[in-house]
Amino acid sequence: MTTALHAALQEGRHLLEPEAYALLEAYGVPVPSHRLVTSAEQAAAAAAEIGYPVVAKIVSPDIVHKTEAGGVLLNLTDGPAVHSAYRQLTERGRARKAALRGVLISRMAPPAIEVIVGLTQDVQFGPVVMFGLGGIFVEVYQDVAFRLVPLSEHDAAAMIREVKAFPLLQGIRGKGPVDLAALTDLVLTVSRIAEAHREIVEMDLNPVLVYDTGLCVVDARVLLRQAAAPQKP
Amino acid sequence: MPAASPSFKSGDALEALFRPKSVAVIGASTAPEKLGYQIFKNILDAGFPGMVYPVNPKATEILGRPCYRSIEAIPDPVDLVTIIIPAALVADTIRQCGKRGVRGAIVISGGFSETGAEGEALQNQLVAAAHEADVAVIGPNCQGVNNPYHPLCASWPLLTRRGGVAIVSQSGTVGAALMDWASQEELGVSTFVSLGNRADVDEADLIHYFAKDPHTKAIAVYMEGVKVASKFLAAVRQCHKPLVVLKAGRTPKGRKAAESHTRSLAGRDEVYEGVFRQLGIHRAADLEQLYDFSKALAYLPRPKGPRLLIVTSSGGSGILATDVAEVTGLDVVPLPDEMVRTLREVLPKHCIVANPLDLTGDATAEMYRQVAEAAAGHFDIVALIFGDPIPGASAVVGTDPLQLVIFLGGAEVERHERLLFHQKGIPVFPTPERGIRALSELLR
Repeated sequence: MTTALHAALQEGRHLLEPEAYALLEAYGVPVPSHRLVTSAEQAAAAAAEIGYPVVAKIVSPDIVHKTEAGGVLLNLTDGPAVHSAYRQLTERGRARKAALRGVLISRMAPPAIEVIVGLTQDVQFGPVVMFGLGGIFVEVYQDVAFRLVPLSEHDAAAMIREVKAFPLLQGIRGKGPVDLAALTDLVLTVSRIAEAHREIVEMDLNPVLVYDTGLCVVDARVLLRQAAAPQKP
Repeated sequence: MPAASPSFKSGDALEALFRPKSVAVIGASTAPEKLGYQIFKNILDAGFPGMVYPVNPKATEILGRPCYRSIEAIPDPVDLVTIIIPAALVADTIRQCGKRGVRGAIVISGGFSETGAEGEALQNQLVAAAHEADVAVIGPNCQGVNNPYHPLCASWPLLTRRGGVAIVSQSGTVGAALMDWASQEELGVSTFVSLGNRADVDEADLIHYFAKDPHTKAIAVYMEGVKVASKFLAAVRQCHKPLVVLKAGRTPKGRKAAESHTRSLAGRDEVYEGVFRQLGIHRAADLEQLYDFSKALAYLPRPKGPRLLIVTSSGGSGILATDVAEVTGLDVVPLPDEMVRTLREVLPKHCIVANPLDLTGDATAEMYRQVAEAAAGHFDIVALIFGDPIPGASAVVGTDPLQLVIFLGGAEVERHERLLFHQKGIPVFPTPERGIRALSELLR
């Protein structure tokens, strides 16, 4: 993992999705099964191996906002769909003159409540972890909570309960609660990653799908600090 | 990036600011409308227990005290100076003070960073002079210091009431308003400090200092932002007294398009909210809450739990109290049968024996006492809402359950009883909502 981080730092870019997935996996965070492919044939083979439905995402150091760039195609259910998705994504990449590293084929996670866990730098306080529920709760109501790194388990549990939409996680209309312990763990893991890798300045795990048991980080955006001037010996 | 361990102003330097043996007022004036006159007079009138020297080259005496041309002309040692002279002269004056062994300076003068680039330069010179001369500076552009326990009123207005809350304020008026309220209510303060531009001494130094001050039971801070985050965090982590902060400037968010979503959501206020919760800081939403929370935290012990009995002479007040109790996590549990039986025997028939317990308009202090006594063991807190002129209310005193006193609609009787309560060190709140809201902070 350290080598991927090192390379990204050198190249002054964000972590590519497969690199971000690998970082999370190294910390025991569940991500969907995935393969990085560089041809339409490989894409179809990877999809068959992983199992349908799958998602195809463009992998490029020049594209941070994949969805906005039309770089994500969801719910592909058979080989021909994957074939055509591969071609579509690479064309879009070329149209933007973006350097392409390939296409990521990953298992489409079953739908669930979506949350966001993030990391950013406060000008005064330094690294802070954010938690919120996905969709309108974050977009419209800005219903989020923050804590300073490092977080204690109490901090993580408290910030999850602090958002106004928390009752949705406890379960409404006869639904049971989501796996709050797994969610607390994820928040703590983001804090640990921030402590261990000071070069990681921002992180969006968005969305994270939270189930009755376990969770899955579907999309991960990891930004590194700009390469600093070489240190004096 | 390992954060450098923050260093606080030494206790010695702050002692000179809050408990000096002698004080000089540089820029003392003979003109009663000037601050240089008022501050000098306030120091004398508050009963400062040492020598007070006016310094002004154009005057021979002020309020009967011989006036000195400069700090150098004073024959005896001076611990503290209060400076009210034009901004351009302040840095040099501080250097001279340093040479005379002065340890602390309160700079009232404005005309520094608050006015623009030129003032900013003067402020930098002031800071350089203060460090060079080893003088701890409060201000500039501030309303001074008032320590009624010394007493030292190097501030205005003249207030002398002693109490348990330390007030630290970036705004002079906000701090003075709190102190004025506390004074009117005969609760007083432990010390008032107006920080002004915080060129040298900042809120972290003062939290660190008041955490150890024996007269301070709670610290109330008004600020527009922390000066140095790492120092502030260190001060708060070491402070084991209740700390209430009103942080102004919740808007604008200035959410710019950002690379990450998290960043675009990290408005300054949301981050402050998280930091305050993480550190156990009581966050006040407005000036009234800053006053109420620090009053509750300074003068009430922590309840054993959230079970709350509301006793009132006014139905409406009981409902208002219940509403706030519900949303703040207090537990307005039903009366146990045993307690109902006991109270039915002693209370008049028309009383509504429930929770809230309505003694109705002809309630007496004795009835409140009987209810509070019967609540022992069944409730953690009893809110006594005196909603009429009820003489002798202040005789209803008990510790089990913890008593929260609210008094309203009682006119002259209320004003009299409130002061009696306050003289016993029991805080009285003016409305059910404010009282219950402040109480809920004790359980956080």
